[in-house]
Amino acid sequence: MKKHMRNTSIAVGLAAGLTAIGGAAAAQDCTTKIGAVLPTSVDWGKPIAATAQYVVEQVNAAGGVAGCEIEMVLRDSQVDPKVGVDAAKALVDLDGVQVLLGAVSSGVSMPILTSVTAPAGVMQMSCCSSSTAFTGLAEEGKTKGLWFRTFATTGVQSAVAAMVAKDKGYKSIAILYKNDDWGQDIGKLAAADFAAVGVEVTGSVALNDGQASYRAEVTEALKGQPEAIYLALYPKEGTAAVREWISLGGTQNMIVANSLKSDEFRENVGLQYLGNTTGTDTASPRSASATRFVDQYTEHFGSAPSGPGLSNSYDATMIALLAMEAAGKDSSGEEIAAMVGKVTDPAGTPVSADAEGFAAAKEILAGGGSVFYQGATGNVRFDANGDVSAPAVTWGFSEGGIEELQYISLDEVDSFMGSLN
Amino acid sequence: MIQHLADGILVGSILSLGAIGLTMVMHMLRFANFSHAELLSVGAYCALVFDGVFAGVHSGLAQAIGSLSLTWTLALSIIVSMAVTGFSAVAIDRLVFRRVRALGGELSMVFASFGVAMILRNILGLIFGLQAQLYSRDIVFAVMISSDPLLLIKPDQVFSLVAALVFMMILHLVLSRTTFGYALRAVAENPTLAQVSGISLQRMIILIWLIGGGLAAAAGIFYGLTNQINPVLGRDLVLPIFAATIVGGIGSIYGAVLGGFLVGIASNVALLILPSGYSPAVPFLIILAVLLVRPTGLFGEERP
Amino acid sequence: MIGVISYLVFFSTVAAILAIAVLGLNLQWGNTGLFNGGVVAFFGAGAYATLIFGGTPQEGQLGGFALPYPLALLGGMFVAGVMAWIVGILTLRLRHDYLAIATFGVAVAFENLMRNAEALAGGAQGLRGFERPLFDALGGGLAYNSLFLICVLVLLLAVYVFLERLIRSPFGRLLRAIREDETAARSLGKNPARIRLTSFITGSVIMGMSGGLYGTFYAFISPQDVLPILTFQIWAMLIVGGAGNNRGAVAGAFLIWGAWTASGWALSRFAPQEVQLYTGSVQFILIGFVIVGMLLWRPQGLFEEKLVVSQQGRTATKELQGDRR
Repeated sequence: MKKHMRNTSIAVGLAAGLTAIGGAAAAQDCTTKIGAVLPTSVDWGKPIAATAQYVVEQVNAAGGVAGCEIEMVLRDSQVDPKVGVDAAKALVDLDGVQVLLGAVSSGVSMPILTSVTAPAGVMQMSCCSSSTAFTGLAEEGKTKGLWFRTFATTGVQSAVAAMVAKDKGYKSIAILYKNDDWGQDIGKLAAADFAAVGVEVTGSVALNDGQASYRAEVTEALKGQPEAIYLALYPKEGTAAVREWISLGGTQNMIVANSLKSDEFRENVGLQYLGNTTGTDTASPRSASATRFVDQYTEHFGSAPSGPGLSNSYDATMIALLAMEAAGKDSSGEEIAAMVGKVTDPAGTPVSADAEGFAAAKEILAGGGSVFYQGATGNVRFDANGDVSAPAVTWGFSEGGIEELQYISLDEVDSFMGSLN
Repeated sequence: MIQHLADGILVGSILSLGAIGLTMVMHMLRFANFSHAELLSVGAYCALVFDGVFAGVHSGLAQAIGSLSLTWTLALSIIVSMAVTGFSAVAIDRLVFRRVRALGGELSMVFASFGVAMILRNILGLIFGLQAQLYSRDIVFAVMISSDPLLLIKPDQVFSLVAALVFMMILHLVLSRTTFGYALRAVAENPTLAQVSGISLQRMIILIWLIGGGLAAAAGIFYGLTNQINPVLGRDLVLPIFAATIVGGIGSIYGAVLGGFLVGIASNVALLILPSGYSPAVPFLIILAVLLVRPTGLFGEERP
Repeated sequence: MIGVISYLVFFSTVAAILAIAVLGLNLQWGNTGLFNGGVVAFFGAGAYATLIFGGTPQEGQLGGFALPYPLALLGGMFVAGVMAWIVGILTLRLRHDYLAIATFGVAVAFENLMRNAEALAGGAQGLRGFERPLFDALGGGLAYNSLFLICVLVLLLAVYVFLERLIRSPFGRLLRAIREDETAARSLGKNPARIRLTSFITGSVIMGMSGGLYGTFYAFISPQDVLPILTFQIWAMLIVGGAGNNRGAVAGAFLIWGAWTASGWALSRFAPQEVQLYTGSVQFILIGFVIVGMLLWRPQGLFEEKLVVSQQGRTATKELQGDRR
């Protein structure tokens, strides 16, 4: 194990302090707690929490953070804001955590931020909260620089979807979106972007959570007889809606958001119907380490990191722990939050998204250098409001799972988005 | 319009099956049983298990019947699962509801049923996982009945509708032609008098749970067949089923059947009028409208 | 230690806010027998309206009148009351289960409207931009939370005293008379429909106050806060505490909210790491067992309804007790 770790460290391009890694992996005699408030009782929430736990395991295997083992205390948010806020408050006050991971829904993350983490000076890192309200809050200075999220703004995804529709030459498209803050946002943006590239939007239909049947909604979308369909849904209702859609003879020209990048969706709909499906997502870095992340993840969980928020959750946890490492032992939430820039510094040394990368980062940080974390979702960079921007990819379903089709660099994304206005 | 109506009827048959059991329990035991819809989940998962077992025993049976995605093993599982779910309902009554009934009032029962629903739903989630499952991954294409106006129907849905109607017909015959049927109605109308005339209330309660549970299981399986199976299936269906029961009038089995179809149609046709974001509210607005005209539902009777 | 105090202050604030709503429900159900299945609609109306009246202007939204806080909270209560008036006129002639499902429908429609009406309520993103009074002055930490808790407790006490007086007044006697035997009450020349409506509106205004305080505490409200689960939680608090008894209503709020949160805390602390992922489901099972267990153990709730005699209260009660002995 130790030998393997050294080899890969060299591969990452690290020269100094190799011998110290062996020492770092020795048993720690202290424990640092971090908190996580995630919806473990919900179908899409549990894998997100499992991913965060996996990161903690990897980091502990690489010697822990600042010489201490990390213990992640996981609480279920039940997707109920008051339950999530109470859990966060208990983690901060009773367990004394300085870093809080969560929540998934913006409706839970927001009250946690306004009434728990920001007043207490605890850093909050969300994998998946997409609401633009956070950007507004940050601009007003109310997040005190303690708020981060690894969820790239939805604008990139909707723009890339429009790019795909244009390239494929679709004339008309219907939109099915999840009726929550993320879905409403991306549904609206996508409608505007499709119109901007000259694709007619025949209908935009909201799918509410927990409905017994989506038959009526699908029929509604089918009415305009669109040439293609855009799906901003989660696997559960996505599977139900797409099965209805296909059985009713709807087109198999599908463009889907990254929330449907899921094996569950692929298997339950069936590959034979997904040949013409193009997905959009933020890109993982163009380096060998990116595939290693996928391989290791697949080995650990028996399935690829595909599913809403999994890569985001991985990066959120890893960046939080890297920042803790950079800030040193017993740092406050503010001190840790201030270090996020140092571990996602484009001028820093690139490190991979795995245990070896973490070990390498420790060395670099100990030597006073800065680190450029090559995340599972891409070369994550935060702006002043804690938002992330990233290059994009398109992907499709294949026999083996999910494969990348095209890489679109940040510049291309930016210039295309510029052309839309 | 025609398509929305047809879809409403097809979805409605599932709600009707669920509502029949609920209306009987609500009438006899005088409480709103929020755990009733969880029996649909129990039934659906039960069939999933037996489907697997039967397919393992005799793989030849695991073939689809005609143009349905339904297999012979699943068809067999429907019967077994109805029985198992019926007995589960009796067991839950023994363990919880009978005891609460002996001690507390109507509201205690309602909240005990909430508690039971929570326990059942999460136990299913722990055993089978939170993700959606399917009886068959094959997608059976809808058949075009007419192209203008466009009318597409899935074979599975037709099967569910026919099977639901058959179950309802059997129930109708039992209630109107057998001594059990008379006894049941007598108990429903006046429990004390019925007991005086030698009808065992305990036995009637057991039979009602058996029937209610069995029909709920069938509804759950048909739902799984035409949609998907997941642990929150009952939670998603509880409100439409309640709506169907109330619209039909508590205690009226025929009202429940009609209510199921009404709610199914209403939520489908609603999209013609309102944006789809508002669709969850529509069944309730319809209930409100019905209750304003008939405060005890379509076939309900004022009860003391 | 300071952490424990800080957490308890926070916990008590939420429990006390919910207790106010439970008191409102107790007036409706415990004293008048109205099966309100849409508690969350009136709670939500108060929360949304308070934030709209008191918040700062937001782009593309109706809200942000930036009224002084007491006015905003009163505005929230007023909106909840107006909504109760409309709903009451439409539905109060319905009985029991029918009333429950009709009001439940109102709550679902309310949540739906908030989720979709972006110009009015921010849509699924929710409403923000509310400045908590004195929040910045007190640094937003324990000092602010303590002050807020005191304010909530004062309001809780005020509602409690108000309701205790109300149910001992001739009006309260009327409420119970209608609950027990409407025909008899009508034969005495009383108008049951009117009195029920008054009780329904009063209870809903109290729920609106609870919602307003809730929105204030988080400085945020979204459709996720007004899902039916809250109606269930508030009802469970009343039933476990003891319907018809205000002390029971308050105790029930603290007990059920305590069980709800403590079960999660205990699981995160004592469950082994490997099963942490499953604790969410286990927690719901535990909560289910607590509720069923409570109903089996004390079906009347923690506190039974007291016999209330409005005039010469003390002596009459004593006589009754004497008789029992």
